[in-house]
Amino acid sequence: MSIIEAKNLSFTYGLKTPFEKKAVDNISLSVNEGEVIGLIGHTGSGKSTFVQMLNGLIKPTSGQVLLEGADIWSKPKEIRKIRFKVGMVFQYPEHQLFDETVYKDISFGPRNKGLSESEIDDTVKKAAKFVGLSDELLKQSPFDLSGGEKRRAAIAGVIAMDPDVLVLDEPTAGLDPKGRDLLLSQIMQYHRERKNTIFFVSHSMEDIARVADRVMVMSKGRLEMFDTPKKVFACADKLESIGLRVPEITKIMLTLKDKGYDVSDSILTVEQAFTEVVSLLKKEGKL
Amino acid sequence: MSFISASSVKYRYEDSEKNALNGVTLKVNKGEFVALLGHNGCGKSTMAKTLNALIIPDEGMIYVDGMDTADDEVTYEIRRNVGLVLQNPDNQLVASIIEEDVAFGPENLGVEPGEIRKRVDTALKTVGMYDYRTHAPHKLSGGQKQRVAIAGILAMQPSCVVFDEPTAMLDPNGREEVMRTIKTLKKKGITIVLITHYMDEAVLADRVIVMEKGEILTQGEPEKVFSQVNLLKKHSLDVPQSTELAYKLIGAGLRFSKMPLNVQECIELLEGALS
Repeated sequence: MSIIEAKNLSFTYGLKTPFEKKAVDNISLSVNEGEVIGLIGHTGSGKSTFVQMLNGLIKPTSGQVLLEGADIWSKPKEIRKIRFKVGMVFQYPEHQLFDETVYKDISFGPRNKGLSESEIDDTVKKAAKFVGLSDELLKQSPFDLSGGEKRRAAIAGVIAMDPDVLVLDEPTAGLDPKGRDLLLSQIMQYHRERKNTIFFVSHSMEDIARVADRVMVMSKGRLEMFDTPKKVFACADKLESIGLRVPEITKIMLTLKDKGYDVSDSILTVEQAFTEVVSLLKKEGKL
Repeated sequence: MSFISASSVKYRYEDSEKNALNGVTLKVNKGEFVALLGHNGCGKSTMAKTLNALIIPDEGMIYVDGMDTADDEVTYEIRRNVGLVLQNPDNQLVASIIEEDVAFGPENLGVEPGEIRKRVDTALKTVGMYDYRTHAPHKLSGGQKQRVAIAGILAMQPSCVVFDEPTAMLDPNGREEVMRTIKTLKKKGITIVLITHYMDEAVLADRVIVMEKGEILTQGEPEKVFSQVNLLKKHSLDVPQSTELAYKLIGAGLRFSKMPLNVQECIELLEGALS
C-alpha cells in the first residue's frame, strides 16, 4: 500500500520576483509503507526542498503531497498534525538540542503531542533505547555529550514522536566511520522493529547502497531516476553526467564488465564483488 | 631538517581524566603531505592545535621550523607560519566581501597596502576564486567558502597549512574542489597536515599516520598503512573498498605485487590476475 505520494509536485522560490528559481520541478512518485528510500543529488538539486514538502514545512507551488491518500494541505489549519506523522531530522540535528537534560529534550515532542506523563516516560525510554543512549546519559545535559551521542539524542527526539514516515537529512554527515556505522545500524534496527517508512538523504553512495530499497536521484529539481540501488548504480555514466558517482566497488565491477569480463553490473558491496571475482577466477582456472 | 618535530608530547585537558595526547613523537619534513587518521577523540585535533601553539604540551616539546612552540616570543611567528583550516566554512569567514576577508590576515600582520593587494590576488588565483573577489561570501557554496578560507591563510604566506576535516561538511563536488586546492598547495612546496575521515583523501598523502588513544598506532606510505586491513578494521577505521577487495582476494589465495589504493590500480591488478 502506498503511504506517501507526490503528484506533479513543484516548488519555486521567489515566485514572481527576479530571483525566481524552480527548486522542485514536477515530481510524481509513490512510496509504499515500510520502504527505505535513499535520496541522492548534489547540492542545489532540490533534495531538501522536496523532503520539506513531505511534512508541510514548505507548501508546494503546485501539485500535491498525499499522505495515506489524503492531500496534506486539504485543511491548512491542521498541517501541524501532519508533522507528528512525518518526522524530520535535519542536517546537524545536534544544533537543535536545547533542554537541561537529554530526557527533557527527548520528551519535548511527546509532551506537545499531548501524551500523559507515564506515556511520555515510556516513549522517551523506548526512543533512547533505539538509538543506544543509556539511562545514565538521559540525566546529563545534552551539551556534555560527545558529537555522536548528541546526534543520537537529537534523532531520539524525533523518533519519540513515533512518526509513520521518518525523514533523515544526511544523518551521518561529519561522524567518524565508527559513529556512522553504529548510527546506521541503529536506524535500521529501529526500522525493522517499527516497520515505518524512511527517507534517507545522503552524499554517501556506499551508505545508500547499504540501506535503501529504492533510490531517488534528483538533479536540477527533477527526478532523474527512481529504482532499486542495483539498477540505479548500474547507470554509472548517467550518474556521473549529473555530478554524482557510484560506490567505488561498483565502479570497479562496471569497468571490468566494460572490458568484456563476465561479471554482474549490479554489485554494491565488497562481499558481493569478492564472490563474483572468485567465481570468475575459478572459471578461468586462475584460482 | 624536519619542519615539524614533536618529541614525547603529552597533553591533558582540564577536567579530563585521560591524556588527550599520550607521548606522541612525530617528524614532518618540509613540503611533505601527511594525513592524520583515527576516530573522534583519538587526539588528532589536539595534535593539530599543538602545531600552531594553540595548545602547549604539558610534557615534551614541539619545534616548528626550529622554533619552540612553548616560547611566547615566537608564538605569532609560528601562527603566521602554520595556518589552520577548520571543518565549518561558515565559522571562518569574517568580512562581507571576499577580497576583504582574504586581506584580514595580512592587514593584522601590518603588511604594506600594495603588498596586501598582491598577496590577496595571488592567493585568490591559487584557490581559483579570483573571479569572485568582489562577491559576498554568504552566497558561495560550501566548497567555495572553504577555498576562500584557504586563500585567507595563503595571504599570510605560511610554510605549512593544517586542515582539520576540511571536507566533512561538503558535498562530493565541494570535496573535490578542496582536495584539488590542497594538491596545488603541495606543488607549491607548502607542508600539509590533513586530518580526515575519508580514506580516498588520505591515500593522496605522502604518509598516513593513524592515531588511537592519544598515541600513534601505525604510520607509513598509504599503501603500507592500508594493507594492514585487519589492524584498521579492529580499530573501526575504514579502508578504501579497492584495498579491501584485494585483501579478501589475497586471503582466498591470490598473489598481488602491491596493494591497490584506488579504482584504477584495483582494475589493473584484477586484469593481471585474470590474464
